[in-house]
Amino acid sequence: MKRIAIVGMPNTGKSTFFNRLTGSSSRVGNWPGVTVELLGAHTILGGEAVEVVDLPGIYDLHGFSDDEQVVRSFLENNAVDQVVMILNASQLDHQLPLALQIHKLGMQPVLLVNMIDEADQLGIRIDAESLSASLNCPVVLISARNGTGMTAATDALLENMQSVTPVQPSELKAHLHADDEIVSHAELLVSQHVSSPSLLVRKMTERIDRVLLHPVLGLPLFFLAMFLVFQTVYTLGAPLQEAVAWLLELFRGWALDPLANVLPASVFGFLVNGLYDGVGTVASFVPVIILFFFLMAIVEDSGYLARAAYLTDALMARLGLDGRGFVMLLMGFGCNVPALMGTRVMRSRSLRLLSMLVIPFSLCSARLQVFIFITTALFTPKQAPYILFFMYLASFAAAFLTALVFGRRLKSDEPFVLELPPYRKPVLFQVLMRGWHEISHFLRRASTFIITGVILVWWLTHYPEGSTPGGAGTYASMMGDWMKPVLDPIGISSIMSVVLLIGFVAKEIVIGAIVAMTGLEGAALNSYMTTQMDGIQAISFMLFILLYTPCLSTLATQLGESRSWKFTGVSLAWSLGLAWVVSFCFYQGARALGY
Amino acid sequence: MHMEQPQKTLSNLSRLATGETACITGIHAPDDIRLRLQAMGLRTGRVARVIRRTRLGPMQIRVGSVDLIMRRRDAARVTITASQ
Ligand SMILES: Nc1nc2c(ncn2[C@@H]2O[C@H](COP(=O)(O)OP(=O)(O)OP(=O)(O)O)[C@@H](O)[C@H]2O)c(=O)[nH]1
Ligand SMILES: [Mg+2]
Repeated sequence: MKRIAIVGMPNTGKSTFFNRLTGSSSRVGNWPGVTVELLGAHTILGGEAVEVVDLPGIYDLHGFSDDEQVVRSFLENNAVDQVVMILNASQLDHQLPLALQIHKLGMQPVLLVNMIDEADQLGIRIDAESLSASLNCPVVLISARNGTGMTAATDALLENMQSVTPVQPSELKAHLHADDEIVSHAELLVSQHVSSPSLLVRKMTERIDRVLLHPVLGLPLFFLAMFLVFQTVYTLGAPLQEAVAWLLELFRGWALDPLANVLPASVFGFLVNGLYDGVGTVASFVPVIILFFFLMAIVEDSGYLARAAYLTDALMARLGLDGRGFVMLLMGFGCNVPALMGTRVMRSRSLRLLSMLVIPFSLCSARLQVFIFITTALFTPKQAPYILFFMYLASFAAAFLTALVFGRRLKSDEPFVLELPPYRKPVLFQVLMRGWHEISHFLRRASTFIITGVILVWWLTHYPEGSTPGGAGTYASMMGDWMKPVLDPIGISSIMSVVLLIGFVAKEIVIGAIVAMTGLEGAALNSYMTTQMDGIQAISFMLFILLYTPCLSTLATQLGESRSWKFTGVSLAWSLGLAWVVSFCFYQGARALGY
Repeated sequence: MHMEQPQKTLSNLSRLATGETACITGIHAPDDIRLRLQAMGLRTGRVARVIRRTRLGPMQIRVGSVDLIMRRRDAARVTITASQ
């Protein structure tokens, strides 16, 4: 099968093109460095099956950061039949040198000049035909986002593929031509084939930035925006969650409850009160998560993340991190795993390690589910959003403290230079895609460790035979007895220790575990929670869950990316210790103050 | 290129005030950093303009069609000469 590789500078629309060509859902965002890993997909092109590979962006072929290393080692180890290079039409002066480098390596690329819609608006005119003639390779103007020029692009691809000889893997750097020569050649080409207004003004972007990057208002506006996002998630999400829970209960009443007459009580208890209710309660939070990711996708696709980096870099510099690290913390709000991978854009190992040490404290959407569950049970609808926002602030605080503590050892002098893309309108399709992605992600997790975890907790809280379900004599309560000396001082009831243990695997299971343990759900479960903890204990419990350990996938990613057991171990030990100390101080402090 | 002109006021990018422009004359940094900054658009002979800067934070710089944000510490590595 023929192999097509998509290369280009960061944020030029490679993944958008890839998705359009193959119908896949590679993640897209208006931020340089969204793709940091290879993604392959098969598609039919001109009646022939081909493999298309989406690659991370590269600035040049000298390749220093880990995401660029991915591209280099891919090109050096795999035969590629056709290289497609995506360029940003409004930045040809900047991007043509890379195209020339690739051309000179003998890769015979097809150049796709993307975002032609934006270039049109800016008044840039590109003569693709004459450019193609002087470069001696196909050049097609496209808009991967709107789909214009896609037919011409695939035609050019097919035609070119007939004539090119596959590029054999080779030592790329050895062939690099002198940079200066290439740059002046690119300048010449641009002056001959591109006409653009002498001053490029992106009116819209400049107007928005005057407000959002305002020296005084910028940061307050950022926090306000964040608060509004979470307020929206909570006010729209909580009723959605209730609606799904109601549907699941309806189904249960109609289809499952009659089974009580057929099945033995213990089997029924396991299947329905344990498994169905446990997994179902976790599932009822999926709409909240989808809503959350819709909003995240809008923020990511707008271009605001790079602004957040600008606004926070001064603070982050004091902590030994940089603005990109802050953006990764924000991405971590979705899921810590891609945020950890996102640090590949950093070249200094110590900066990467420090960033990877703080990211697990980012309050990911799985933890958000647990917090929504607990705040809904224990606080009034008025209080709940503020408590949630407080948890986000605590998440930042823990990350910053960690950076302060470890920053001295992990110093770096990596330059902080970041491209600031123009604002772009989020694409509805992308946003919906993201939601779909989350559903399938949940289904995958549900079919593996959510179900396993719920079953395990049910067993631990119902056995050995003869013990009170969820109470004395069970394995869970024995475990609770051991953990009592640790959990008592931080105000967590020892019966929760089995829940905390399972939460180590994945935070979503925490809710399912509580359901399976108690055999309660809905309103009954909420009132059970109020008997287990008061407001202060609930906050202490949430602080502990926020900090004590990231989930198993996050740890595995930390290990995979750092390639160091020591680093991963230190990270785990630190977070366990920090969680206990923070909860202890909060709980004992609040009690001492008389709350 | 522009290099042959007698260099008048030699300074660096971090000293430039908001709205001012200057011509880039070189980058003083270890090889890997220099190559990276060049690939991001900070090339000798290009004109750079400061779009905004704050007292503590990074600055926003426009070179040709590219907008960059960079720390002043890194901007100080880019030498410039007044451009008309
Ligand atoms: N206006 C316009 N925007 C586009 C076009 N193609 C992509 N975009 C936007 O450009 C941004 C970057 O797109 P991606 O597909 O993530 O770019 P990428 O090259 O894969 O980026 P990295 O993976 O970070 O290297 C997104 O906000 C897209 O919506 C286009 O043709 N026109
Ligand atoms: Mg991409």
